[in-house]
Parts: sequence; C-alpha cells; structure tokens
Amino acid sequence: MDQLSLINNNLPDDGDETKVVAATLQYVVIRLGAEQYGIDIRFIENIIRMQRVTRVPKVANYIKGVINLRGEVIPVVSLRLKMGLEDDEYTRATRIIILKSEGEETMGVLVDEVKEVVTLSENDIEKIAHDSKSNKPMFLSGVGKHNNELISLLDLSMVTIEDND
Amino acid sequence: MDVSQYLEIFLDETNEHLQNLNTQILDLEQNPEDSDTINEIFRAAHSLKGMAGTMGYKRMQNLTHDMENVFSEVRTGNIKVQPEMIDVLFQCLDALQEYTDNIKNSADEGTNDNEPLIKQLNDILNKKGGAPAPEKEAKKEKASKAKAEKAAPAADAADDSAPWYKVTYDESQISVLKEVEKQGKKVYALNITVNEDCVLKAARAFLVVKAVEEKGEIAVSFPSSQDLEDEKFDNSFMLIVVTDNKLEDVIKAAENVSEIKSVEGGVFDTSKLGGSAKAASEEESAPEDKGAEEVVKEEEAKPAQPTTAVAPAANAAAPKAKDKKAGKPIVNRTVRVDIEKLDSLMNLVSELIIAKNSLVSASTGTQNNSAFNEQIEYLESVTTNLHESVMKVRMVPIESTVNKFPRMIRDLQKTLGKKLELYMSGEETELDRTVVDEIGDPIMHLLRNSADHGIESAEIRAERGKPETGSIYLDAYQDGNNVVIEVRDDGNGIDVEAVKNKAIERGTITPEQGAQMTDKEIINLLFLPSFSTAKKVTDVSGRGVGLDVVKSKIEALSGEVEVKSQLGVGSTWTIRLPLTLAIIQSLMVVVGGEKYAISLGSIQTIETIEKSDIKLVQNEEVINLRGMVIPLIRLNEVLENESHPVDEDSSVVVIVKKGDKIAGLVIDELIGQQEIVIKSLGKYIKQVKFISGATILGDGEVALILDVNALL
Repeated sequence: MDQLSLINNNLPDDGDETKVVAATLQYVVIRLGAEQYGIDIRFIENIIRMQRVTRVPKVANYIKGVINLRGEVIPVVSLRLKMGLEDDEYTRATRIIILKSEGEETMGVLVDEVKEVVTLSENDIEKIAHDSKSNKPMFLSGVGKHNNELISLLDLSMVTIEDND
Repeated sequence: MDVSQYLEIFLDETNEHLQNLNTQILDLEQNPEDSDTINEIFRAAHSLKGMAGTMGYKRMQNLTHDMENVFSEVRTGNIKVQPEMIDVLFQCLDALQEYTDNIKNSADEGTNDNEPLIKQLNDILNKKGGAPAPEKEAKKEKASKAKAEKAAPAADAADDSAPWYKVTYDESQISVLKEVEKQGKKVYALNITVNEDCVLKAARAFLVVKAVEEKGEIAVSFPSSQDLEDEKFDNSFMLIVVTDNKLEDVIKAAENVSEIKSVEGGVFDTSKLGGSAKAASEEESAPEDKGAEEVVKEEEAKPAQPTTAVAPAANAAAPKAKDKKAGKPIVNRTVRVDIEKLDSLMNLVSELIIAKNSLVSASTGTQNNSAFNEQIEYLESVTTNLHESVMKVRMVPIESTVNKFPRMIRDLQKTLGKKLELYMSGEETELDRTVVDEIGDPIMHLLRNSADHGIESAEIRAERGKPETGSIYLDAYQDGNNVVIEVRDDGNGIDVEAVKNKAIERGTITPEQGAQMTDKEIINLLFLPSFSTAKKVTDVSGRGVGLDVVKSKIEALSGEVEVKSQLGVGSTWTIRLPLTLAIIQSLMVVVGGEKYAISLGSIQTIETIEKSDIKLVQNEEVINLRGMVIPLIRLNEVLENESHPVDEDSSVVVIVKKGDKIAGLVIDELIGQQEIVIKSLGKYIKQVKFISGATILGDGEVALILDVNALL
C-alpha cells in the first residue's frame, strides 16, 4: 500500500470498480514535462521517492544508474532521455516507478510526478497501430479517454528496447 | 507407483554410478584382476539396474542387466577381462548415459534398444569357460567369492549348506552363540530378501529388525546393523536370532513387513561353524581384507600407472580406499540439498551481512560505547564465519567434473590414433557448485584441443626426440582468492606464424597489423569466434567453434583464460576462476566523489606516490617501485569522472596484480577494507567491461565493483 500513499490525488473508490462489468484496466497517470502519460498498473511493482542513483560508467545516456531497492540492485532509466526530451531535473515530486513484467528484469523509470490512478474501460481505449515502416520509436500503445481528457498510454516495451545510439 | 518425485534423485544417483563405473572400468583395464574393482563395478551396475527398474525404464534395465551378468561372470572368474570387452562396456556406458540424458530431457528413456550392444554382451557371456584359471588365480577367486556371497547370499541359495553358514563369524560372536545354545535357548537364522524394486531398503530392513526384536534378541546380523542402516546390502540380509519363540513365529513377524520378498529360516547349529571361523580373528570382513591386501601388493608390484592410480574414484570408491586399511567402511553422513535452497540460504546470509554493515556504519557515529562496539565486532566475526560455512557447503571438489576425462582421453587415443596419457592432480580442489557444473565443457574442450592439435603424430614425436606417448596434464590448485586450472601438453605448441597467416588470410587483421603484433596478441586471436588453424576439420576439434566459447563461458563465470606456448615444446592453458562468487573482502576507494570496491585478492600493496615520482615512458605514466617499473592507470579516466585528489602533490596508488601482470591504480582516497556482497548489475545494463558487479553499502548506497582483471 505504500505506493499508493505517494500518489498525490484521490484513488478511485473500490465500490466503483465492482460495479463495472466490462473489462477495465487501471493506469497510473504520470507527468513528464507538460505531458501526462498512463502506465498500466499491472506492470508497476512499487513507486518510490527519488533516491541517490549510482552512476554506471560507459552505458547509454538514458540509463541513469543503479539504486538499492530492498537489497536488490536495479537499473534506473530516464523516460525523458529515452523519449528524446530534456534531461531530468530532480524535484520533490520526482518519483521512481519500479516496473516488473513477466520475463523481464525489475527496473525503475524516472518520472516528474505521479498524479493519480484511473480506471479505464477497454471501450475507452483506442489502440495505436504501429507503423513498421517508420523508424520513429513508438512510445505509446494507445490513447485512453478519461473524464473528457485524453491520456497517452505508454508502451513499456520501449524502455527495454535499446536505442541504436 | 508414482515415481516422478524420485526422478531427480534417480538422475543424480545414476550419474554418480555411471561416473563411478567409468572410473572403475578404466581401472579394470589397467588392473584386470583387481577383485575390489570388479566388485565395485558389480555393485554399481546392480544399483543402476535396480534404480532403472524401479523407475520403470525397461530398456535401461535390460542393458544394465546384461552388463551385470558379464560382471558377475568376471567376478566369479569365469570370464577374463579382455580389451574388447572393455570397449564394449564403455559403449554400454555411453548408451546408458544416452538413456539418462533422454530421461533428463523428457522423462522418457527413448526407444533405442541397443540390441547390438546386448548381443555383444551375450557373446562375451557365451565365450566363457575358456582356459582354466591358474592356481594363484583360484585362490583370489575364492576370496572374491567369499565376499560375493556375503554381498548377495541369496544368489547361491541352491548351494548345499544354508546361507548363514557361509559367512564368517568372529570369535566373540561364536562364543556368544554357543553360550546361549548351552543355556537351552533356540538360535534361529533368518535370510531375508527384500523386493528388488524396493526404494527404501534400509527402512524395510529396519522394520524387519524391529519386528524380529519383538520376538527375540538379535545376536548377529549380516551385514552389521550400521551397514543395514546405511543400505549397504544388496537385496538380502541375515539375522541370527536368540529366542524362546517358535521359528515360524519369527519368520511370520519378518514376513509381515511389506516389500519383503521372502524370508528363509532355519535352526542355527553352532557346531557347524568350522575351524575356519576361528581363523578369522577379525570381523566378518576379514576375507575381504585378505583379498584387498593381495591386491595392494599386486598394485605395488605393477609399474606405476599414474592416471588411474592418481585418479581417486568418485564418491563410493573414496571410502573404499580407506577401508583397505581400516577394514570397515567409513560412512560419510551426507544430505542431498537442492541447490536452490542453498541459494536462498546464501541470499539470506548476504542480507545479514548488508544489515551488519549498516549497523557498523551506524555505530561509527556513536563513540564511547564500548559494550556496543564489542557486540558489533562479535556480530562481525559471527557473520563472517557464517558466510564461510555457507560458502563451504556450496563448495564441491572438481573431482566430479574432471573424473570423466581419463575416459575421454582413452577414447581419443583410439579416434586420433595417438598414444596419450593424462596426468591429473588437484582433483580435490574445491569450487562453488555452480562453477563446477559449468567448468566441465571448457576443460574438455581444452583437453581435446591438446590431444588433437597439441600432441604431434608419433613420427614427428620420434623425430623431435620426444617419448612416443604424448602427455597431457590437468592440474588444479588454489591461488589466493582464485582457483587455477591448467591444461598442459608436451606437444607442438602454437605456431604463431601459422596463426598470423591464417588471421591475415581471413581478414581478421591486416598484414601491417600482423607485423606489429606481439606473439601474445597473435595467440589471443585464437579466442576470436570462428578461428581454427587446424588444417583439416576432425571429429575431435577444429570446427572453429571452440576457443571463443571456452573464453566466453569462463568469462561468464567471472574467470579468465590465458595461454602460453612454445613452438615444439608445448602449450599451457590457464583458467583462473574466483573462489567465491557472492561475498568478497574488498578495499573501498573513492574516485571522483564516487565509491568503488576493489577485490582484496588482487591487491598487492597500497602506496603513496609523490607527483615527481611519476615518470613518462613511451607516453605512458609509470612509477618505479622498489626496482619494478609499474604502469599507472588513472581510474578517473577509465570511469569518466573528475578526480578530486585529497592532496595535490601526491597520489594514492593501489598496486594490483593479475597473474604476472601488475599495475598501479590511481585513486583519490581510501575508505578501508570491507566485506561486500556482490550483486549483479542485471542484464539490462550491458556488461561494462571493467565493472564486475555492484554492492550495497552500509548506508544503503550502491557502489560498483571494479574488475581489476579487465583493467590490466
């Protein structure tokens, strides 16, 4: 539960959830610069405050280094640098989201702020078709509608795919 | 019966038995008349058969059954050991290994019936009864026979006298029996046979003993109660019971235990114990001792056979060697533990050490509390010992891996048509279990390499004045925090020119580069993928997939491999592996405001060097330390950060050593010695060459561990 206490806004009521019959997905809404993105909650193991990151020499620039997560050494990746944005600026709101998906290593991603958890019905999510011809890296898996706002849903596979540089 | 739960045990034990058989049959080839070896082989084959049968692997059981028949005839002296027979037996072992591998991969033994092999075995059996054994032979035969009967009394049930008169009793046993007989008590002998497919024979024996004890007192048991407990009997055992009850009652009690095949009983007549019993002053194992003595003498008389003599037989055979002297097997009490459980134990110890380190760093702030500091120091010594113990538990001798090599070299002799001899030393050297499991293939490759490319053909050897038999050495020893494994041969050595030409031909290097490269650099080209100088591709090696795999495998174990060679004289391949994988003693240093750990094992000394003492040689910074010129490596340059030395006029230099290479690492500041737990950086961060991992410091911070070997 400690991860939830770190989220600034209200959580959806448990009661809401049980009423919904259609398949729903929960997303943690994060902020990177001015943009808001959603990360599928199933892949999130934990959200922790910013802590000292140990730099690892001679690695890709978006790998910020490693941290100690309860006795395990895990890598921390900058989503900003990975997406070609400006370098991170650490503030009080900066969080490390610990991601864990099956078959993948646990890793942390840096975000500017964690805002809230939203529940989206599958009907509200519009998938984005990947354009295989385009060389542009794809960061989004779809767009979700929530309270008349659009939330870009992050495709997490992009953090594990290496850049060519 | 659902046997799947036993599959793992089955595989483990089968591999052990197969290894044991391999070693013993090799032994047998050298000493064809060693009754101890033959018995050991028989026992291993018998256990294999029983295990395969229990698990329902019929083909495997059939093959081992026929092998056992052959061994049984050898044991009784009806068949003499012939070189062809050894070949067939080795093929059988290979077939068994194939079954085992199939079972391991698919839980099924496969469909190969190996009929040709079975036929060959039967041919051997049918040819028996050749030349009559000479007298001396016969004597030994008797000795082994006596032992054989002890091991499997039921086998000769057809014999005239009851089985219990065929074993030897010591004097005290006889006097006890005669005494009770005089007192008018009844003495019965029971011969109990356990079902062949019984999994827990010892447990059954225990139940029988318990049941019989309710009816009377057990005066003697064959084998001894200790051996019964340790399952050191084939399928049957004997009990001599003193009781007031009727014989039928006692038999019934024994029969009531499940998985008991038969109970044979009779009145025991002490008068039938002839004079032979008196002669046997020792325990029932006396004839065995005699046989063993004879064998020992024989071994001494024979010219030394270093390979087989040096190679200690695996597991079961080890105590056997001892019992030649002691006369009684020394039982190692062991427990099989899943390696995963050990891993989790290791992780817990690691956590404990991290917690301990936190306490230590927290306590440095609080002074003047001597009681607290004392306890911290105590905790430190306990955790260090705990760590050492857990490491020791994980350590196994490399024996289990290297024992298969004599057999391999023997096979290679035949395929390559060269005379080869493998000398091994240091099989008792211990390494972490996971490393031992992984190290077999690389060593095997190097040995094959030596046999195929290294050792010259007989003609060339004769020309060079070398003995006809090529020698390959496999030495293992501990060197500080490392274990070194050397593969050495007295063969041709590496032809540096040939390697260079090949590399140029392949475009690996340009002729100009080739001209500039040192011999050592050229030899290192051999470790590049798809590089083979063999003129022709053979079955043994030379496909160009090898040395690079050897290198990458060893590096994956955080080890390294080096080669030294002299053309015409031979080559030495040196594998260097870290002794421990998880926790090391390290020196903590600061470079550019960041903390790094350096393994204490590779550190020679720490020096403070004046700026003026740093000289330039060929544009490289060096220092002259007590007559030695040592190149300097500025760590901040390697680590790409900015150095903030404490003192502008002098530098702290850590002198590190790898093999015969030495260098000085320039650092900013020393923190001190610390026991650290090595954590992997994970797959996501691509292997950084000179970082071997990370560790968590007492304050929770992560520090990287420098791999000195990669820096030099």
